[in-house]
Amino acid sequence: MRKVDLVYTRVRTEEKLLLEALRRRDCAVNLVQDTGMVLSMDRQRVTEADTVLMRSMSFTRARYLATFLEMKGLRVLNSARTISLCGDKALTSAALAAKGVPMPWSFVAFDEDACLEAIEQKGYPVVTKPVLGSWGRMVARLDSRTAAEGVLSTRFGTGGAQDHVALVQEYVDKPGYDLRVYVVGRAVGGLRRRSEHWITNTARGAVPERYEVPVVHARLAEAAAEAVGGDMVAVDLLETRGGDIYVNEINHCVEFARSIDETGVPLPDLIAEYVASGAGARR
Amino acid sequence: MQVQNPNPMTQSVPPEQCPLCAQPVPGGNRIVGEVLSCDGCSAELEVVGVNPLRLEEAPEVEEDWGE
Repeated sequence: MRKVDLVYTRVRTEEKLLLEALRRRDCAVNLVQDTGMVLSMDRQRVTEADTVLMRSMSFTRARYLATFLEMKGLRVLNSARTISLCGDKALTSAALAAKGVPMPWSFVAFDEDACLEAIEQKGYPVVTKPVLGSWGRMVARLDSRTAAEGVLSTRFGTGGAQDHVALVQEYVDKPGYDLRVYVVGRAVGGLRRRSEHWITNTARGAVPERYEVPVVHARLAEAAAEAVGGDMVAVDLLETRGGDIYVNEINHCVEFARSIDETGVPLPDLIAEYVASGAGARR
Repeated sequence: MQVQNPNPMTQSVPPEQCPLCAQPVPGGNRIVGEVLSCDGCSAELEVVGVNPLRLEEAPEVEEDWGE
């Protein structure tokens, strides 16, 4: 019997379904809320579990906890490296670029004037987003110098050092949707997210649709997952009106409550099967 | 694993009231951190304690929460 610690922030629909799926596979699951965890900086074992399924909603906690739990000899899914790379969009882009995975052109800048000059050279429109953040928050499309000056003034004039990193990305004129491919060891299915708004995130109201993943998209998603060492990730793809396909982002704590009925992809069972199999992590 | 609440699961928790509208919320097997929707006012509630069951309005999304 595999012993699993499921680390969580909130027990949402996802965590309830994962818990049931793990128990159907005779896994002994211990639920551990991230807020109460205290970990010593040594290699002393802290749990009888051999595997940790990291479902913390907090990027900060997930990254640290995964790092410390791996240091203590545990198999953590996803790994600390994967969480660190996926949770920081600039590092995601760097990991993809290092492996030659197709993605929208992008750059990072650390100064308002330098960033504005680089945008002017590229031309409008462009997209800027915080390197840390999710669910489409604070993502902005810049259509003009005036808009860029306003957004960059706010970005560099408020917050702390971590906020003063601007990730600027090519604006991709999508055909009214984006695509998401789930990778659990391999590409296992996908989701089309349709929206009239250019931000196509189900947390922002995009409508999930069934999507039969063609082989070329599956291989691209698997290459992206491999670039970040991801065992169980959601790879967001952008399709241009001309038919090109890019990797946009990779998500390490996959959410599926809003879409599982439409997609029919049995993610809780696929993830539980992967956890129970002993595959992955420790890369 | 060293945690402040090492056993967040419980059995047969009696019902509690929604802290916002007083609608009864069923008890049963509850977990600290579990998110519920109130049938009375549709508020998102979070289980913050068991034995006895304690509910609070679920907090707003934290800055670094996401996928």
